[in-house]
Amino acid sequence: MRSSVSVILSSPAPDTSMSHPDYEQTAHDHAAVLLLVKHVGNQLKQKNFSRVYERLSRVNHVKVVDSVGVSREVSARYIKEYPVENNDWGDYQTHRRLLGLISVEKYDKELNELCRVHESLKVKYSSTLFDSRCVLFGPPADTSPSEPNVLSTPSNFKTRALFYEDCEACVGLEDQISEFLCSLFWVLESKRLERSREKVERVSLLLAPFERKDFVGLDLESRSNRKRCVGRMTKHLGDLSLQAGLATEALSYYSSAIDILKAVGDWLWLGGAYEGLCAASVVLLYPNLSRSFPLQRNASLQEGSPGKQSWGRITKENKKRKGIYRSADNRREKNGRSFFHFSLRCKLSVLKDSTVYILNSQNVTTEFIFLFLRSSSISTNSLPSDMSPTEVQQEIQNVLSPEDIPKRYREAIIHYSKYLNAGIIEMEACFKAARIAVEQGCTLQASTFLQNVIFINLTLSELEKIQRFTSLSDLYTQIGFHRKASFCRRLAATRYVSAQNPQPNWAQCYQLMLQALSGHKLLLDPTEFPKDGLQGWPALQIQLLQELVVAARRMGHSALATRHMTFLLQTMWDHLLPAEQRDLALQLQVLAAQCEGAPVPLVLNSGVVIPPANLTNLPQIWSFVLRDLEPQLRPQKIEKVKEDSGPFLFTPIHFGSLERKTVVTSSKMDYFWVEGDVCEVAMELYNPLPFELKVLNMRLLTSGVVFESVPVSLSLPPESGPHPVILSGTPKEIGELEVLGYSTHTLGVKSNCRLRHIGGFPHPLYSVDVIPALPKMQVLTSLPKSASSGSLGETLTVVMSTNITLYAGESAECSVTLSNVGDLPIEMVEVSVHSTLEPLTQEQVFQWSQENLQAQLPLQPGADASFTVYLYSLADFLNVSSTAYGSQPASFLSGPSSLPSRLSSPTFGREQASRRSELTASFRSGGSSHSGSSLGSSRSPFSKLGAPNTSKTLEGQLKLRYSGGAGLESGYCRLSSVTLSVEMLPSVQITNWDVLPAETNSQFYLVLDVANITSHELELQYTPSKCILIEGNESCRIPVPVNRCPLSKLTKLYRGGKISADDRLELDQICSEHVAASVDLRWHILSTGTRGRVSLKGITLTPEMLDLVRMSPLQWEVTLNSQPVKPQEELSCRAGQCLQLGISVHNFLERSLWQVCLAVQFYQDHQNGVNNYRLETRLANAGASKVLLPEVRNILV
Amino acid sequence: MAVCVTVIGKENSPKYISCLNPELDLQFQYKVHTSLDVVEEKLSSVGKTSGDVRELYLGLLYSTEEHKIFGYVTNTKIKFIIVVESSNTLLRDNEVRTMFRKLHTIYTDVVCNPFHIPGDPIISKNFDATVKSIMSGNA
Repeated sequence: MRSSVSVILSSPAPDTSMSHPDYEQTAHDHAAVLLLVKHVGNQLKQKNFSRVYERLSRVNHVKVVDSVGVSREVSARYIKEYPVENNDWGDYQTHRRLLGLISVEKYDKELNELCRVHESLKVKYSSTLFDSRCVLFGPPADTSPSEPNVLSTPSNFKTRALFYEDCEACVGLEDQISEFLCSLFWVLESKRLERSREKVERVSLLLAPFERKDFVGLDLESRSNRKRCVGRMTKHLGDLSLQAGLATEALSYYSSAIDILKAVGDWLWLGGAYEGLCAASVVLLYPNLSRSFPLQRNASLQEGSPGKQSWGRITKENKKRKGIYRSADNRREKNGRSFFHFSLRCKLSVLKDSTVYILNSQNVTTEFIFLFLRSSSISTNSLPSDMSPTEVQQEIQNVLSPEDIPKRYREAIIHYSKYLNAGIIEMEACFKAARIAVEQGCTLQASTFLQNVIFINLTLSELEKIQRFTSLSDLYTQIGFHRKASFCRRLAATRYVSAQNPQPNWAQCYQLMLQALSGHKLLLDPTEFPKDGLQGWPALQIQLLQELVVAARRMGHSALATRHMTFLLQTMWDHLLPAEQRDLALQLQVLAAQCEGAPVPLVLNSGVVIPPANLTNLPQIWSFVLRDLEPQLRPQKIEKVKEDSGPFLFTPIHFGSLERKTVVTSSKMDYFWVEGDVCEVAMELYNPLPFELKVLNMRLLTSGVVFESVPVSLSLPPESGPHPVILSGTPKEIGELEVLGYSTHTLGVKSNCRLRHIGGFPHPLYSVDVIPALPKMQVLTSLPKSASSGSLGETLTVVMSTNITLYAGESAECSVTLSNVGDLPIEMVEVSVHSTLEPLTQEQVFQWSQENLQAQLPLQPGADASFTVYLYSLADFLNVSSTAYGSQPASFLSGPSSLPSRLSSPTFGREQASRRSELTASFRSGGSSHSGSSLGSSRSPFSKLGAPNTSKTLEGQLKLRYSGGAGLESGYCRLSSVTLSVEMLPSVQITNWDVLPAETNSQFYLVLDVANITSHELELQYTPSKCILIEGNESCRIPVPVNRCPLSKLTKLYRGGKISADDRLELDQICSEHVAASVDLRWHILSTGTRGRVSLKGITLTPEMLDLVRMSPLQWEVTLNSQPVKPQEELSCRAGQCLQLGISVHNFLERSLWQVCLAVQFYQDHQNGVNNYRLETRLANAGASKVLLPEVRNILV
Repeated sequence: MAVCVTVIGKENSPKYISCLNPELDLQFQYKVHTSLDVVEEKLSSVGKTSGDVRELYLGLLYSTEEHKIFGYVTNTKIKFIIVVESSNTLLRDNEVRTMFRKLHTIYTDVVCNPFHIPGDPIISKNFDATVKSIMSGNA
């Protein structure tokens, strides 16, 4: 036999080797009758044919009572294609024989033609065919019912034709097929009986196809060959018995065949016998494993490969499994069998139908499947005799124990592997064994069988290789080896488009690639992709995705290619080298040029949905910040509701803090956006690619209220960033707006980048409230603009800054124009000024007419309104603080002490009356004697004034609060500010002042040293009729006649009693104001024509000055010889002449004076500074020089 | 001795891959990746049967015509996979065990590094050098 084996090995006969592997075979198929269902012709639609095929396939079990009265179970296996070469192996394994033929077609006219095709098929398989049927559909009932011959087959057509009107109902089709199956059984049974009755001596040698020529010329009558013949025939009988439903008989045939064949060393047939033994045992042990779920597909084998070392371990594994198996078995006993079995079946088939169950949480699902597989393998064996495998084993002789089945299979496979031409048998055996192992739950064992498939070296067509890989993949999936399954799928996919494949099929390649994703832990939805990238093998994932892209591209689906490339770039970014990133990005650009990527799910023809992939890495986003509106556009509450939070401004206790639910998350903005206004989001982008990245059509993604986003296009330089980008848009409704992210169009791919899916952002979205629309106002002033926005507090809302230069005391007008540039009428405008000045001063500096403005409202869109702000350059002309002169005006008049009496007078400050008399003198002397000196010295203080009198700036913010439309109704307004900056140049300065008595009692002279600090000639008008010209930077002294302060203003002074310090201050103030109000100084710079007023506000007066400023409480009229005498008037008279001195006193106080002592005192003035008061020898009094008046009445009363 | 050494994390993602021939890197990755199926199966079957201390060495995971793939799983479910050439018949089981034990030791050193975050890919030069020496059979 060795020689024959060597012959076989040396000369492979390709024509006789079975070249078409059937990967779907199971052990149960050994016991089935093979039927070919053929679609002849082309009238019947493929879909309808499939439906008919499905119906036929369901008739796969028929119970027949045989001649002895024993019930036999006949199973059938239906196939659509069967190569004749495989039929030739029928002698070796009878289940490979095609026994029945059913042709299916719809006919119209050419019935004869169909019959001819059917007959030719019969001829093709004539060597094995027992019987055939022809299922014919149509024609419609109304078509020529008169022609009976339409429904009749030609007379020479021997096949029974089954006519049906249409392929939907086909009443009785199943019955017909059952009957057909029965007829086949009887033929088979007869053949079996015929064979079994053959005499042992006379049996012929059965041959596998490739063996035929090897036995030519061999002595068939030799003892060993005789035994060989017998052994082979015994095995053959076993095959037939198994097919005929006599599994137990088959077992004994196989066992004896094994003994015989082992003895003669007929390895090929020994292998067949082992396999038969296994198949029969499986049929007995697991009767319900048969093809109820058409799960197994195909695979292919090779042969003659080494590396069977691992086989030894199978048995070990198997023993381990046995424990589980047994215990599960016992569990089954306790459960209600039939129900349990049923439910498991359902679940199992559900699981197997769906191809997506591996997608997620692999381990869990795997366990799940295992559970069911294991359970099913045990509980599905509802034996006809209701026996468990162990019972079956005890009951029936020769049956293999479950753990022995893989062992025998292993032996069979080892024997097969010795023959190159038996490669396909070996491969099929591997698949069958693997399926059994899967059912038994021996995962590792199954994987070893499957692993062996790879080693079998066969020359197969590419299509068969693909089938092999997909079958392997299916089985690997079943045992939970998803990585291996994916690997096989990927290999199958590559075979579709390999160089050897004459008809590359990229679509199929793509489909398989797609199925391989799950095993690499790739989900097509990038959002579900783990961000940390911990799962899976990046290198393999990248490889697979790249292949997927190529497949999609080559199959002509550019959108898919773009989608997958986008996915690859998006999810694998971190794992790609910079060069790869660049290359892939460029590839994506090329792909997207053919079909632009869009963020919508793609639905394939197969029903698979490819979720959108968005590029969030290109460009990378660094920050995403919502922006408040421009300060002058920010809505503000018109009326702020002051919350009553107790007497404390701040309290750590939050009232109502128990309501934790109301805590607003920080993703909610604390400001508002306004309907119809452009709102912005600031972003920072980074371009990680080494080439310029163009981002087109960048918009904001929002939900909630309607939002009109403005697209932005930008170009980012290579490998640079962050680039600030502002995305803007306009809310069109009121309510809450949610900003979810942004959309881009880059590298030809449109992406919706949601913050939710981008790592590193604290909030998945930002929300902001949109309030009703508000008008927009533009503010213009007639004054020139200035660059600085001013230094006052809130400069944010400033829309305009103006600057004006005024000389101190000058006035100006500023016309403010308000234009409504929005779409809504402005119905409310409020004007206020905010500055650091005192409110009173502020009112003087800035003045406007609110009424004038109100009259112009409402302001329609596009209309203007204007009002005028009057500016007055208010300044302190008195220069009090700069020198000692103003603050100590007393020193102005001091100097040569012409007033020793006053300064040393003990009555000073105590008796007003006595002081007053002295003051007149002192003023007179001071006014005359010191004017010169003070003027002379005025140069030096004046030069000192220069520094502090340089320009000074007054600033005010004109605040305009305005609102209108819906925004006004909901209580919002906007605030615009204009900074009015008044730069004050010094004009004139009062450096000194004093008072002098005037010619009349009711007036006094205010003497002012006025300095012109400008460099221009200045005309100063100090009374209605008097003007003086002052050169630039010169000063001069002017007397201004002023009415004395009437006593009516000073009632407090003489009310008696103590005068408090406060009262005194108040009185001083009154006098000061009186003076300021009475003096009207106007200057006029001749060269520029500017005019202004000088205010003496705040002038300080010393007590001495005050005496003159104030009206005296008593007025005198002195008459000499009844002639009124004016003060300081000189009268001449001769010595010895009698003069009549009349004195009348008028009381101007509000009350009468009592006990007034009126005394006349004379003195002699020597005109040399000496006064002589001792006049006893010079003057004689006639009458009293001292009179006591009991009451001097108030003149006014 | 070995042609490829890999360290695989708890979640079955690669932490370290080193091949004698860097050009075949992807091919080895495929092999090692598919061998994980066997590792998982072995782990799950052992875990069910006994609560005893598991043997860390898993033995031969599977073999192809060119390579044999051995596995080793630490108690923290870190997997070491070593690929050796099938033609190297001199290599015995014991030597493979020794390689794994060495690998485990240096892996422990890497994890002891306070700057190494468990779960991160291994980028230690020292580890790399030692693995290279294990592969060449010098260590």
